[in-house]
Amino acid sequence: MLLKGKNAVVTGCLKGIGRSTLDLFARNGANVWACCQYESPEFSEHIKELAATNNVWITPLYFDLLDPEQIKTAAHSIRESKQPVDILVNIAGMTHDALFHMTTMDQMKKVFEVNFFSQMLLTQYITKNMIRHKSGSVISISSISALDGNPGQLSYTASKAAIIGATKTLSAELAGYGIRVNAVAPGVINTEMTANLPTEVMARLMARSDLKHMGLPEEVAEVILFLASDMSSYITGQIIRVDGGIG
Amino acid sequence: MVESDDGGIMLLKDKNAIITGCAQGIGKAMLEIFAANGANVWACARVKTDEFESTAKALSEKYHVEIWPVYFDMTDHDELKLAVKSITSTKRPVDILVNNAGITYNALFLMSTMAKLREVFEVNFFSQFLLSQYIAKTMMRQKKGSIINISSSAAIEGNAGRSVYGASKAAVICATKAMAEELGEFGVRVNSIAPGITRTSMLTSMTEKVIQDTILQSDMKRLGNPEDIANAALFLASDMSSYVTGQVLRVDGGLQ
Repeated sequence: MLLKGKNAVVTGCLKGIGRSTLDLFARNGANVWACCQYESPEFSEHIKELAATNNVWITPLYFDLLDPEQIKTAAHSIRESKQPVDILVNIAGMTHDALFHMTTMDQMKKVFEVNFFSQMLLTQYITKNMIRHKSGSVISISSISALDGNPGQLSYTASKAAIIGATKTLSAELAGYGIRVNAVAPGVINTEMTANLPTEVMARLMARSDLKHMGLPEEVAEVILFLASDMSSYITGQIIRVDGGIG
Repeated sequence: MVESDDGGIMLLKDKNAIITGCAQGIGKAMLEIFAANGANVWACARVKTDEFESTAKALSEKYHVEIWPVYFDMTDHDELKLAVKSITSTKRPVDILVNNAGITYNALFLMSTMAKLREVFEVNFFSQFLLSQYIAKTMMRQKKGSIINISSSAAIEGNAGRSVYGASKAAVICATKAMAEELGEFGVRVNSIAPGITRTSMLTSMTEKVIQDTILQSDMKRLGNPEDIANAALFLASDMSSYVTGQVLRVDGGLQ
């Protein structure tokens, strides 16, 4: 139980890495504000069971990252609860495939809105809470493509690179308040996002990786758990690649 | 995850680990944290002392694990080879190797002697390399394992007065990445930890000014504790990091 009694905000909980993180956090004793884009009966049922099995509370929050007003309302409801927030995990994001010259400014702005601006807004609200109680851990999901580049994904990779810059700056700004800020850069993880990768791209990536296999969402969640827990108490401003050794 | 009697977690339950440099500092902290997480440990130290023997025994009783003290001088390859034999002849699987033993050396570049350069590389790099060669063979046969090499922030930043030490630790990083590539397909992960300035006896080799300057350069404005580094090693040793390999994990409180 690495997070016994801690309270976490996790975005993107509907599926993939977010869902795995939610499950792993609950199993480790954390209470979670589970953020999703929309409500689904499957999700409602899932969190009810998860909370009961692990003896924690899980409060769903539904908001669209394209709408700052909805983010504000969600942050407000967290503040109203008067609970300290110990952990924020920014997972929700979108991918976008298009060659540079085929990428419209509208698409680029949308990707940045979802992958970066909205996360910064939420992080501003939540770290205010952390600053008040002088402790916290913020974890954002970047990508190895932000570090290595990836043809055909300019808007996605640039938005994920913005997260890296923000992580390092926030680490320097918030460390004085006992808040650690880190990012995880996943490689090829078996989620919906990678399901559409062309076979030859996948083969090329796997050949480059040391472990020669795709990662599971649970394996990324374990690294997030490490960064959220006191096991990483002296780690801040870092970008941890979880990629089976690519590059 | 396996829970201990008091509800804690046991991240290394029934795993067998080799840790070098266990007599003090970071290695000593790792020994205790690994034992507390259920690992049996071949605790390597340079010399046999009553204190070390009794520490090993006390930890073994406290955490209900096996601690086998192993003594050898890292600069003596024959001793090292005998130590490896004593480990592999037990036929126990070796799940984890932590190359932690190392020495420090502070001198300006122009004042650093060839003899010192060779000595530092012998302890910090050549002997670790040799030990990893022996143990990696065992791990490849098992088709699993985790090797953790302790590097240093000095290897990444480059610090005045630490050309020798920093270069030896940079060699460790490069070897880590090459080993990760070569051993990955055998299920063996290889990672490195780069601690910042940590509260160990190595501190005494640094001037107060260097220590204070480094603290000011870090986001967290404090020195690291041996436990901070040991917990990062625990993460890399455990299945929590099953998809992490070839990485250098900086545990430095955010050094700029």
